[in-house]
Amino acid sequence: MRLRLLDSGAMPAALNMGLDEAVLSAVSAGRSPPTLRFYRWEPRAVSVGYFQGMTEEIDVEACYGAGIDTVRRVTGGGAVFHDAEITYSIVVPEGHPLAPADILESYRRICAGLVEGLRGLGVDAAFAPINDIVAYDSARGESRGGNPGGGKKVSGNAQTRKQGCLLQHGTVLLDVDVETMFSLLKVPKEKLKDKMIEDAKARVTGLRSLLGRDLGYAEAAKALEAGFSAAWGRAYGIELEPGSSSPEELAEGAAFAREKYSTSAWNFRR
Amino acid sequence: MKGRCVEKIPGGKLLRVEVEVEVGILRRVLVRGDFFAHPEELFEAAEQALSGIPVVEAPEMALEKFSRRGLSLFGATPRDICEAIRKAIDAAQAT
Repeated sequence: MRLRLLDSGAMPAALNMGLDEAVLSAVSAGRSPPTLRFYRWEPRAVSVGYFQGMTEEIDVEACYGAGIDTVRRVTGGGAVFHDAEITYSIVVPEGHPLAPADILESYRRICAGLVEGLRGLGVDAAFAPINDIVAYDSARGESRGGNPGGGKKVSGNAQTRKQGCLLQHGTVLLDVDVETMFSLLKVPKEKLKDKMIEDAKARVTGLRSLLGRDLGYAEAAKALEAGFSAAWGRAYGIELEPGSSSPEELAEGAAFAREKYSTSAWNFRR
Repeated sequence: MKGRCVEKIPGGKLLRVEVEVEVGILRRVLVRGDFFAHPEELFEAAEQALSGIPVVEAPEMALEKFSRRGLSLFGATPRDICEAIRKAIDAAQAT
């Protein structure tokens, strides 16, 4: 069983979300094969979950001022500051081995590839239901055995099912800039901001800090590709096949970006 | 009258409910947060089905609508949502 592998590199938020939806509709219509795609965000961006209120979660003015994109996702979950990270998205038809009817099980199966990729880099990572992956920092004496339920979040993932397909996207953090993140997110009480920054630093981490060295998008993409390939190959006989976006997907992605993901009607709809 | 309720759900998700109440009738319910609902459209249909009903019936109706077959929630239960709606209605009526 083959899975097309795309690497779209850096794009603005509206186009990233537009391409995810274009791949979804192409796979749904049978025009494109099941697909795994890597990308990143340029300019930096904040995305909010489908059920969140954009202005409730984000200081939109601060984002505009800092040249940071804002976008609503089709998936639920929380607000994410997309800065030093790698993002993946996967689209497969429902019933595919990666898209069983049980939604939590499909998170587990897809995230198993991420976990394997992170372990390949030397990170002690584990899936943390519902939708996170946590890492244990061995340099700080953390381990899965010694610290069950502990670890720091290194990846967040979000899934939706539409048009008979599963779309899941998620990020793996390379670095965490909690101060900038909190300057963009609305915090309930300004007085609590320092405490929230400290809490977030204790709960979230990135690969550079875990590995104690520099690491870029390209190396992270290679590592995750190897992890997906190994985990899914072993369990489901899935082979990743590097490919490219079709002209229709690119055109439709741009149309979704223009007509949906950069409009107030969509971004401020809840 | 508008009422709000912000509830932190054990496990980390946040529910933010906003309601509009007009002489004992629930006019609008908006349930926001970082939870997941599949399919999203069914969640919004449940939300919309609550507008126009008497507030006294709202919590029970909310529980029924958000528990409907085919709607899966992750990060918040129908009971969490129902409780948050009840508190938001109380807040609206206290103003």
